[in-house]
Amino acid sequence: MSRKLTLILIIAVVVLASILRLWQLGKIPASPDWDEAALGYNAYSIMHTGRDEYGKFLPIILRSFDDYKPALYAYFSIPIISIFGLDVFSVRLPSAIFGILTVLASFFLVKELFKKDNIALLSSFLLAISPWHIQFSRVAFEANVGVALNVFGILFFLKAFKKPWFLSLSALMLGLSLHVYQSEKVFVPLLIAILVGSFRKEFVSLRKKYIYTSIIIFAIISLPLIIFTLTNKDALSRAKGVSIFFNTSIIEANTEKIARDTVNNDILGLVLDNRRVEFAKYVANGYLSHLDLNWLFIKGDIARHHAPGMGLMYLIELPFLLIGIYSLIFGKFDKAVKVFTILWFLIVPIPASVTNDVPHAVRAINFLPILQILTAIGILFALQKISNIKNQKSKIQIKYLIFSLFVSFFIFNFTYYLNQYFVQQNYFNAKYWQYGYENIVDYVATVQKDYRKIIVSNTGTMDQSYMFFLFYLKYDPHKYLSEGGTLSGKIEGENKFANLEFKKLNYYQENGKNILLIGSPSDLPEVFKTVHEINFPDKSLAIKVVEKNK
Amino acid sequence: MFKKHFLLLLIFFLAVFLRFWQLGQNPPSLTWDEASWGYNAYSLGIDGKDEFGKFLPIDYLESFGDFKPPVYAYLDIIPVKIFGLTEFATRFPSALFGALTVLISYFLVKRIFYKSNNANAYGILTSFILAISPWHIMLSRAAFEANIATFFIVVGVWLFLGGIQERKWYLLFSAISFALSIYTFNTARVVAPLIILMLCIGFWKILMGKYTQTIMAIIIGILLLFPTLKFLLSPQASLRFQEVNIFSDIDVVKTANQEIANDNNSSWSKILHNRRLAYGVEYLRHYLDNLNPSFLFIKGDGNPKFSTQTVGEMYLWDLPFLIIGILFLFKKREGYWWIVPLWLVLGIVPAATARETPHALRIETTLPTFQILAAVGFLTTINLLKKYKKLTISILAFVLLINFMYFYHDYLIHYPREFSGEWQYGYKDSISYVESQKDNFDQIDITMALGRPYIYYLFYTKKNPKDYRQEAMIQREVFGFVNINGFDKYRFAKNLSDIDNKNKKVLYVNTPNDVPNSANILKTFYLLNGNKALVAYTL
Repeated sequence: MSRKLTLILIIAVVVLASILRLWQLGKIPASPDWDEAALGYNAYSIMHTGRDEYGKFLPIILRSFDDYKPALYAYFSIPIISIFGLDVFSVRLPSAIFGILTVLASFFLVKELFKKDNIALLSSFLLAISPWHIQFSRVAFEANVGVALNVFGILFFLKAFKKPWFLSLSALMLGLSLHVYQSEKVFVPLLIAILVGSFRKEFVSLRKKYIYTSIIIFAIISLPLIIFTLTNKDALSRAKGVSIFFNTSIIEANTEKIARDTVNNDILGLVLDNRRVEFAKYVANGYLSHLDLNWLFIKGDIARHHAPGMGLMYLIELPFLLIGIYSLIFGKFDKAVKVFTILWFLIVPIPASVTNDVPHAVRAINFLPILQILTAIGILFALQKISNIKNQKSKIQIKYLIFSLFVSFFIFNFTYYLNQYFVQQNYFNAKYWQYGYENIVDYVATVQKDYRKIIVSNTGTMDQSYMFFLFYLKYDPHKYLSEGGTLSGKIEGENKFANLEFKKLNYYQENGKNILLIGSPSDLPEVFKTVHEINFPDKSLAIKVVEKNK
Repeated sequence: MFKKHFLLLLIFFLAVFLRFWQLGQNPPSLTWDEASWGYNAYSLGIDGKDEFGKFLPIDYLESFGDFKPPVYAYLDIIPVKIFGLTEFATRFPSALFGALTVLISYFLVKRIFYKSNNANAYGILTSFILAISPWHIMLSRAAFEANIATFFIVVGVWLFLGGIQERKWYLLFSAISFALSIYTFNTARVVAPLIILMLCIGFWKILMGKYTQTIMAIIIGILLLFPTLKFLLSPQASLRFQEVNIFSDIDVVKTANQEIANDNNSSWSKILHNRRLAYGVEYLRHYLDNLNPSFLFIKGDGNPKFSTQTVGEMYLWDLPFLIIGILFLFKKREGYWWIVPLWLVLGIVPAATARETPHALRIETTLPTFQILAAVGFLTTINLLKKYKKLTISILAFVLLINFMYFYHDYLIHYPREFSGEWQYGYKDSISYVESQKDNFDQIDITMALGRPYIYYLFYTKKNPKDYRQEAMIQREVFGFVNINGFDKYRFAKNLSDIDNKNKKVLYVNTPNDVPNSANILKTFYLLNGNKALVAYTL
């Protein structure tokens, strides 16, 4: 392929990636979820006061909803919020930009690995249109930035074999990745291990000073995180919350067996029914759940992680992914590259495998862009095989028939996805995106002065409602912190600012004049007279506003 | 000869042991389908008629209105004659044919990898992996007709390959075996033709060269199927299919219509959201469900009758070799390697139309393809590591032993206690009690809450089928379901108060929650986990 053509094509791919990631960014998905709102407001707060919602000065970890989010994403959004103001678009923009950069970086990475322009181009094209990557590039998901940093990290690591100073850049990227998302704390060390292991020949021939510099850079970047994790007992609470090792229901089932073995004096049984065996099986199950083809190609996991009616990849990619794995293993590629690519694929599900709720599209997001690379290899392998077909029937070459069938399936699949994502998603999934606050907060802003007290539910679907009010009101962070900032980050924790209170709603207990109550239909089931309400796009009732005046 | 097949013989004995040891006690009790096979075999053995008096049925056994293909009952006649009407005798054909499947798999694999140096090793490994397979052991230890159908399909493919290799007359027997599979299990009605089609296309040229045998095989096949063709095309045959299939799910259409409405009813959207496509995707979802790794390697089928719930349909040990096996099968292309993946893919086709997926029983016809792949993978692996061959084999054998012990210990110790309720435990005890008290009462009212009590009363009282057909109070429902409301002194109902008890001295047998407070409890029957199953009382 000529250089010029390659250049034109990669520009086209990046333009396509940008359109798919930026068009209607603030409107689709229909509403920010609570994590997006939290990242946005914390960035806004740090920008104005240097402190997060709890008053912590320049945090590297955001306590947020007691899930202790790594803070880097919030810092990335500060410059954008300072230009465009605090809104959904600006919160999502960093993710979209990193998404576009990942598409470009993937091209260079694959070129570096496989030395072939066609694999590189096709991989980055598949990533550009990947339902999985688009899903997370269009929301403020820290994990998506992690993918970008990892891709750059691997790219610079490989570049270092020609220009050694790239190694420190690689260390910088991978170090930063730790600060972006929880799973990276497990994934990045594994990634470094397989990079060094697979390319050990090239790596050891690097001059020592480059290696030491990189180690020092990586250590300096990760040190604050290590210190924080070791000194703050709450920091691990999130990990505990999602980890299977703290999930007692797993071993409950086993206690009966162990009791029976004890009664039977069955030593073999006590060894086999040991709870460690049970945990090991759960880890294996968690790992393997990410190889479920249904999850990847048909249904995905929770609604916010995929477009309705779609999996995480295109169905048409399925055969080519399988062919790709085969042709990578048996094809004529550099052995170290083969080993690295296979190991890269195999380590991705590890961080997610020790958690509950598997398979999980965010915790396993590092499958990007490896799945696209494998699919690209598979497509090119298949194309080559098909173009060798000599069979000719009634003047139409069979191979052209197969090509055009393939292309039409691909176009159909892509069109279907575009429709599902850009048209159907907001209709079917708005409730999972915590839709409705924007309208409600606008209303509250106009009537806020008329009421003595405004009580907002914080239970069920209205959990963490305080954050949406802070976000949409663009509530002055100085004022918020002077009123005490956030009091509780727990699930259904109580908070308040100005004349707003966020707590469990009970219509009959709130007595007094001039009170406004805001809650979901299940918070206010018997109250029919609303002063304001907002529906989901499917016309079902989302949030109710009612008055109490006695 | 003996020396050559010594290993195979050992594996066969292992298979026999794992399938027959404690066959009558574990699984702890009979399901109603098993009891139905046993009693119908008993009935056929007495006067050649099934429980409803149909003489030598070949289309179906009406059973509970699910129109079972009848072969299992015929195969069970002799065991019931020899061992009496017992759990062991009822399950005997399944266990026997299960063990034979292990044996035949060896010969099948040798035929598939015709002329490959590895054929013998592949065969031995396949047969060993199948012998200890949790999937195959579980399905061989209960009267599942699917297990017999699997045997006939394996034999059918084996004989077919023999036929196109040097023993051309085997083709005729292959046709007979495939025809028998169709008379054995519903799923085989789809899988067997698909596999025959695959084999005919794959060996088209060779078959053309043996046209005498080919044509005779086709004629035999058609003749054998002829008696049942009319039934296969009748509404009864598709009754169960319509009840469980995914294409009657109306939500798919509703979603599609809403999606079209969201696109302002444009014509391109009607193509994009065509309901046929939506059902196609739905079908694919159910298809891929059967390849779910958790189902295959961790938990097994969600139905405790098919899986202990503690290991997958295969061992975790099988997983890496299965993957390596697939890769190298395609790479090495030994013999008629392509049969294995195609058979696997076709074996799932009918099961994916059902709502309950994954389903170990309905995809049992894929066996032993999974085991063949694992065998290929295992042999390839140890050959790749030839430097450390002995060490690798010992480590891997040890890991497999642990996997096996984990399954087998759980199966022997925990499984019957935890899941006796799933096997309708409690009927046998309660019936022997009721029998001992029968003379003291005018009528015995029995709950239907545990499902189809009449067949258990027939089975455990060894009721003479001639008397039964006279006394049976049969009630047929619209969807083909058949209820038996009573025979002899026994009356069955969902709600015992619906039974007419006027001026009669009645013994009641009911589930513990439905026993009235005023009842005078005579005896309670327990599950193996200590929970109450049934209570006998008077009022």
